[in-house]
Amino acid sequence: MKAPAFDYEAPATLEEALGLLQARADDAKVLAGGQSLMPMLNMRLARPALIVDINRLPGLDYIRIAGGQLQVGALARHTAVASHPEVKKGWPVLAEAAAQIGHDAIRNRGTLAGSLAHSDPTAEHPAVLAALDGEVVVRSAKGERTLKADDFFLGYLTTALQPDELLTEVRFPALAPRTGSTFVEFAPRVGDFAVVGVAAAVTLGGDGSWQDVRLALTGVGGTPFRARQAESALKGKKPTAADIQAAAAQVAEAIEPDSDIKASARYRRHLARTLSERALTTAAERAAGQGGR
Amino acid sequence: MSAFAAIGKSARRVEGREKVTGTATYVADVHPRGAACARLVLSPYAHARIKSVELSAALQVPGVIAAFSGKDIGGAEILAIDEVYFAGEAVAVVVGETEAAAEDGADAVQVDYEPLPVVSDPIAAMKPDSPLTRAAQGESHDDAGAHGAAVGGAGTGRPKPRNVNQMVEFQRGDLAKGFAEADVVLEDTYRVARVHQGYMETQGSVAERAPGGGFTVWTTTQAAFGARDETAKFLGIPAHEVNVIPTQVGGGFGGKFVLVEPLAAALARRVRRPVRVILDRTQDFLVSHPAPGAVIRMKMGAKKDGTLTALEAELVFDAGCAPGAPTGIAALLLGGTYRCPNLDIVGYEVLTHKVSPGAYRAPGAPQAYYALESHMSRLADQLGLDPIEFRLKNAAKEGDIRPDGRPWPRIGLIECLEAARAHPMWRDRKKLGADEGVGVAVGGWGGGTEPATGGCRVNPDGSLTVQVGSVDITGVNTTFALIAAEVFGLPVEQVQIATNDTDHAPYAGASGGSKTTYTVGAAVLAAAQEARSQVIEMAADRLEAAPSDLDIADGRVFVKGAPNRGVTIGELARLANRFGSRYKPLHGQGRAAVHTASPGFAVQLCQTKVDRGSGMPRITGYVAVQDVGRALNPAEVIGQIRGGAVQGIGRALFEAMEHDEGGQLANATLADYTMPTAADIPDIEVVLIEVPSELGPFGAKGVGEPPAVPGAAAVVNAVEAAVGVRVKNVPIKPEVILDALEEGGKR
Ligand SMILES: Cc1cc2nc3c(=O)[nH]c(=O)nc-3n(C[C@H](O)[C@H](O)[C@H](O)COP(=O)(O)OP(=O)(O)OC[C@H]3O[C@@H](n4cnc5c(N)ncnc54)[C@H](O)[C@@H]3O)c2cc1C
Repeated sequence: MKAPAFDYEAPATLEEALGLLQARADDAKVLAGGQSLMPMLNMRLARPALIVDINRLPGLDYIRIAGGQLQVGALARHTAVASHPEVKKGWPVLAEAAAQIGHDAIRNRGTLAGSLAHSDPTAEHPAVLAALDGEVVVRSAKGERTLKADDFFLGYLTTALQPDELLTEVRFPALAPRTGSTFVEFAPRVGDFAVVGVAAAVTLGGDGSWQDVRLALTGVGGTPFRARQAESALKGKKPTAADIQAAAAQVAEAIEPDSDIKASARYRRHLARTLSERALTTAAERAAGQGGR
Repeated sequence: MSAFAAIGKSARRVEGREKVTGTATYVADVHPRGAACARLVLSPYAHARIKSVELSAALQVPGVIAAFSGKDIGGAEILAIDEVYFAGEAVAVVVGETEAAAEDGADAVQVDYEPLPVVSDPIAAMKPDSPLTRAAQGESHDDAGAHGAAVGGAGTGRPKPRNVNQMVEFQRGDLAKGFAEADVVLEDTYRVARVHQGYMETQGSVAERAPGGGFTVWTTTQAAFGARDETAKFLGIPAHEVNVIPTQVGGGFGGKFVLVEPLAAALARRVRRPVRVILDRTQDFLVSHPAPGAVIRMKMGAKKDGTLTALEAELVFDAGCAPGAPTGIAALLLGGTYRCPNLDIVGYEVLTHKVSPGAYRAPGAPQAYYALESHMSRLADQLGLDPIEFRLKNAAKEGDIRPDGRPWPRIGLIECLEAARAHPMWRDRKKLGADEGVGVAVGGWGGGTEPATGGCRVNPDGSLTVQVGSVDITGVNTTFALIAAEVFGLPVEQVQIATNDTDHAPYAGASGGSKTTYTVGAAVLAAAQEARSQVIEMAADRLEAAPSDLDIADGRVFVKGAPNRGVTIGELARLANRFGSRYKPLHGQGRAAVHTASPGFAVQLCQTKVDRGSGMPRITGYVAVQDVGRALNPAEVIGQIRGGAVQGIGRALFEAMEHDEGGQLANATLADYTMPTAADIPDIEVVLIEVPSELGPFGAKGVGEPPAVPGAAAVVNAVEAAVGVRVKNVPIKPEVILDALEEGGKR
């Protein structure tokens, strides 16, 4: 349980960090909260020659709202996201997802950006990014780019991040009025990684019909699954239990989950259905609760 | 017996402060000057011939001091030499200046294996065409035996299937007649997974050559003397040349007898430096001895009025690569808990390519009672009888004959069932909401015995030092303090417990089998009583009074009826411990050989609500009833019972060591081997029943094992009560419940 030897740098500025990453792109790894990286090092599943610890970079732990958009810096921890009043009010799905990650000790260290960069196939945040049409800001010594979930998540533990790049910020657009959102998941034990999780955000129109429906799942493949077919099947209709059930069944059919030690593919399909149903129901109730105009 | 001064009042753990303040010494805290660290190299194959072990690359790694193959160390029980029999068997060991260096070195060891056929499932292993496992040796290494439980059974000439090491059989009456008399006959097969003890502190030992020759071994063990003897045997030196210093044990549960002590000492001998062998979690999962999985076929018959008429059972225990599965205990408990005139029980201990199991809290009993208690609840259901009334009708009591022909002593099974029946959780169970239900299950343990000695020294400050050779894994030291305090009428804080090393300790066996309070406690009681007599005798001389006229209170001996005439215990000790004194030192020695066990029974009620979205049962309430004989330290007894119940719930819902067909353990981390945490467990209400033992100190019975027994069946029976789904294999896969719910159209 001891990591193989590595060099360690804790740069004091972003420029320095990006410089290190550029110089050592082949064998460097960024260390943020360490809640995924440290176990991988100690179990010798990762053997980087250099660790670039970004925890001393100043001013990267912000959670702020700019022009209605939520912006989360690379060093904002899960606990900060989960407990932030503006996040809870404006992006409840994100706060709820963060609160369901691991245990206090993990949430106090782990970061939203790190979760996305790590891209565990059952992590909560990738599904939230997908559901909310968020984007990540990625920087290298050469410049900056922004990516949406579809372009960012490439496969099992694989993202579009280049070795010399740092994920510096995560952005979520404002949710429209009369939007309800939620994150629901199933984990056998409290605090475990989810087997399947569902992020939902629904907007009801003035007439009470589904105006916008956004639904993304984690734990049903290598990357978060955005259930676009089910979303469009609901749009324009008035929320009914039967439609929600039909949409949830459609989600279960559309996904192609794998079997592993935690769950069979069949069980994941089943959970995708029951959890989608729950998430849509709750999100619609919340949307209706916001005036229902 | 009612007016106790110390007994029966909850006392704080004597070692509690050091544990919660982080100052307690665990084995990994032991760093002798110049200590090196060792790292094992484990086989990735479950069965293979070792063609060669190449250590030269490892020796080049910076910080590596030495590296050894099994051949170099000698003694295949520690490192495999020619052949490996399970995935995770150690084949080499690297010693380095640091843990990291040793691990780097271990990564560089090259082992050339020739893979051989593997059988990892015990049922497959019994088939005539199965690959052969290690030749059945007949001899048992049996940590469960160290738990002191009786096993036995006579053969009836049934053929012994392939890869079966040992069979046990118990027969009585006429089985066919019994089934013919039955109104209901139920037959089914149950599976219980292999599980790990899951102690918080992983296993490890630190060894150093002693200045005068021999070795000092610090270790986390439940059995200091056992560890001493095994280490000396391996080194080929007399037992007295090894001194084992038992450190605080961060959970044992039966899993910590002897593991790496001999290796640590052998390495210290070879590298001429102290050596630390501290396993990490994954290596601990792979090399330590867990609890065996079992497949149990049950067939039982009963009359309409609930009278049992016949019991047939076939138990298959997966013994891994070496004998020692608790098949006999399991068969005995399975056939002895309820009166049944006709029975036929056969147990098979089957060898497979897995690590051999060891002891885990009530070895064999959780498996047996899972099958028995599942079956009992289902039978009650089919008979239309209340599950507790049905059990009460058949429950064994004093004098009933067990399958081995011996009668039960006074046991509290019926009292426990009655208490469960009276509990509001049971009485009000029909008032619960949808998808909620209550299940009941019984569990028992025969109890263990082993001779023990203890010492009790009277100190000049008036306090007592109790000396024992047993290791405290459950709070027994606090109980010993209560026992001595009771004898002297002293506050418990005035008693100090010394858990001595094997050079200095009075002999005691392993702390296991629920026998430590029962037997070492008896020795401590005798020691304290002897010390008290010495105090009285000396005081009689000082006070010029007859011993029978004296009494002790508040640390002072006085003449009954003339309390002014007295002398404090401290004064007496000061007078004795003095240059030129004519008094002998005040030091009691107690010896005990309690060789009749006092079996303990537990009944647990589980309330669950099944989530229809996931099929997952959540535990919403739990009641643990247990006959403890007498609760010497109620807080401790309650703690034991809660912990045991949690382990039962773990077996029911979460825990399984998952091996694939190639014999690989797929979940050798705590992320993948899931044990319940505090957040998964509701408050567990404990109901203490006291049916005093005639032999245990102040009526105490062993309390450690019984609470770990009923949990799996209680949970599964609750699931059936909640949603009508019968789960046959534990741990429960929520998927199975979900499928059954869908099929039953109960959604
Ligand atoms: C017991 C336990 C339970 C957990 N349960 C859950 C759970 O239920 N759900 C869940 O989602 N997660 C869970 N986690 C993981 C946790 O959420 C981590 O915090 C998260 O996966 C990674 O964030 P981190 O900041 O710790 O990243 P690190 O561990 O520091 O890094 C993870 C990876 O991301 C890269 N990285 C990190 N930050 C950046 C960046 N800014 N730019 C570029 N690359 C970066 C690193 O190089 C590394 O490859 C659990 C962890 C533990 C130990």
